[in-house]
Amino acid sequence: MQDGTDNNGSQAAAGRIREVPSADSPLPDGPLHEGPASGIIARGVSRSFGAVHAVEHMDFHAPAGKVTALIGPNGAGKTTLLLMLASLLAPDAGTIAVDGLNPSTQRAEVRRKVGWMPDTLGVWESLTAREILTQMARFYRLPKQGIPSRVADLLNLVRLADLADQPARVLSRGQQQRLSLARALIHDPSVLLLDEPASGLDPGSRVELRIMLRELAEAGKAIVVSSHVLSELDEIADGAVFVNQGRTVNKQTVEEATARGRRYAISAVDTESLSRKLTELGLAFRIESSRRPAVSLMLMNDDDAVRLLRGLILADVPVLSFAPASGALEETYMTLEVEQQ
Amino acid sequence: MSQTTSGSHNTATGMGVAGYAGGIRDVIVLELKQRLRSRGWYIMLGIWFLLTALVTWLTWASWNASQAYRTQGGDFGYVAGPTGPGSMIFEIVLAFVLLFALLVAPALSANAINGDRSGGTLAILQITLLTPGQILWGKFLAAWLAALAFLVTSTPFLIFGVVQGGLTPGHVIVALLMLTVEVGIVCAVGVGISALTARPLFSIVTTYLAVAALVFGTVISFGLGTGLTQGTIRANQANYSNSSPLVPEGEPAPPAYTCSGPLQEERVPRTERVAWLLAMNPYVVVADAIPYPDRAGGGYFYSGGAIESISQGARYAVAGPEGTYPCANGEPQDPYLSQTTPMWPLGLGLQLILAGLLIWLGWRSLLTPAHRLARGTRIA
Repeated sequence: MQDGTDNNGSQAAAGRIREVPSADSPLPDGPLHEGPASGIIARGVSRSFGAVHAVEHMDFHAPAGKVTALIGPNGAGKTTLLLMLASLLAPDAGTIAVDGLNPSTQRAEVRRKVGWMPDTLGVWESLTAREILTQMARFYRLPKQGIPSRVADLLNLVRLADLADQPARVLSRGQQQRLSLARALIHDPSVLLLDEPASGLDPGSRVELRIMLRELAEAGKAIVVSSHVLSELDEIADGAVFVNQGRTVNKQTVEEATARGRRYAISAVDTESLSRKLTELGLAFRIESSRRPAVSLMLMNDDDAVRLLRGLILADVPVLSFAPASGALEETYMTLEVEQQ
Repeated sequence: MSQTTSGSHNTATGMGVAGYAGGIRDVIVLELKQRLRSRGWYIMLGIWFLLTALVTWLTWASWNASQAYRTQGGDFGYVAGPTGPGSMIFEIVLAFVLLFALLVAPALSANAINGDRSGGTLAILQITLLTPGQILWGKFLAAWLAALAFLVTSTPFLIFGVVQGGLTPGHVIVALLMLTVEVGIVCAVGVGISALTARPLFSIVTTYLAVAALVFGTVISFGLGTGLTQGTIRANQANYSNSSPLVPEGEPAPPAYTCSGPLQEERVPRTERVAWLLAMNPYVVVADAIPYPDRAGGGYFYSGGAIESISQGARYAVAGPEGTYPCANGEPQDPYLSQTTPMWPLGLGLQLILAGLLIWLGWRSLLTPAHRLARGTRIA
């Protein structure tokens, strides 16, 4: 982002608001000590590939019944973490518990509980959607007589019933994505690990995915979604874990993210008078270099926004638009990007 | 091969032998469905059929031509052997089928694991309840079955060779059995290598090199190794009863000599020390396993074919100078080594050890949760 003249003040303000906790802070609310642990808990997990430390001492918690977003820039270690949670990759250090089970020693039990959707689609192209799901059901050793109806249900769920007997190679990327999701759900897992599930989906399918994931979470599954489409995650996720350079850098719920203030974008017919008024009010803002001249600034809550808008109107500033500049999670994400530089 | 290790997994995951075999069968079904739907496999099968047919026809035609030439005259007392053309056609077709099989099997097997890995579908299997052993066995057996289709296609030509004369159905059965086993070994080597390497191209080339090492490398290293095995043997003077001691190379001769005189140190290559290299050659294994009439102590009359020559040559090497050098230890040697001690189990055993080792290493690389990944590979 290219900042205007006033960026120093605005940046400092942002820095004050976004107080990033250290990576080794205790885990968030979670039934760590009560009953059989549900959901996924990873503590102090590290994994390196040769000299590359993909994940370093990462803490992660995805409670049952919630959608937890895993957010971070490319190469932050999201996929590596998901592979470890899915019991495909062993951590060099740290512990992982999937519904209280250890993936390294209770492999089969963990796999009955985990559904994993990889970021690489990995579709057997010459098989039909129905055959792929049937094969997966067999690999999970589901009761044979129940497989056809289970497969049909899932094909309906992901709206592939019409294409069920087409070879998977003729499916579009979005359709293959939905097939991949159905594949992850075939054995009715209690934990769903989705690596970039929304990439390649058209807007309609995204809405469907969102509704589906909310329903699955309400059914008591622990759902982990890694994604870059942050505005989507605002709508789905109950909580978010931000990772960067292999470390957990922030954990927050979406409510917390919203409560920490939001950046608003304001545009006016006359940017000059808008800037003058904002300076007069003593607010830190920056001039955005987008297609339309606009300024942006941090506001702590909705009341602040209402007050500011009223003030601007009363001061005869010709306001054209006044809206949140980004999603709540995107705000936090951008502070990570700043930190990375 | 990894039976014991996979056995321990049975107990770990609480599935019986039937469950374990069921998982293997599911993997085979998945693999074969994909193979049967790819056009390339049928094209290869068609080319294979045409090539084998061409070789058979050429062999048969050339034999007919030479027969026709012979009956027209110009034949200096040559007597056609009792095996007739069947032996020749059978042997040439068999040699080609083995050659083609060794060439086709790597292509069918050596991308089984890393092809899936780069396509992102291997991890899909690994995340399920399938164990690494089930995935590996399934992939191996599917590759083997696909390769066996090629052998089935060539069966008519082997039968044709037998029908043309002189040979029994047993020859076809033993030959097909040994071809099946050899193809299986190459498939196992291919699947093992594909599990250990990152890129399909690399593993296919490596498997071809492994096949080349078995077919040519064993002969070359045997030849070079023989030079390093110079040793001595105590032998005395052979007195040949007639004046034709020079026997054409590769052909056995009767022990037409007596031994006399003091034992002396003779410098000889101790071929038996490096003969195991030769025994690993697929052609030697197949040739040695195929029965041929026992000619031990037989006459000068020789009409054995290539199979017999390969088998006898390899057994000479295994027997070493102790058993083949004239008048070694003062004993006349029967130049013809009988089949009482077959050597193909040695070669096959060594091949199985090689294939088993590669499969075991491949199995280790499929273990999840993975601790070490091969360089340049991703789980998914």
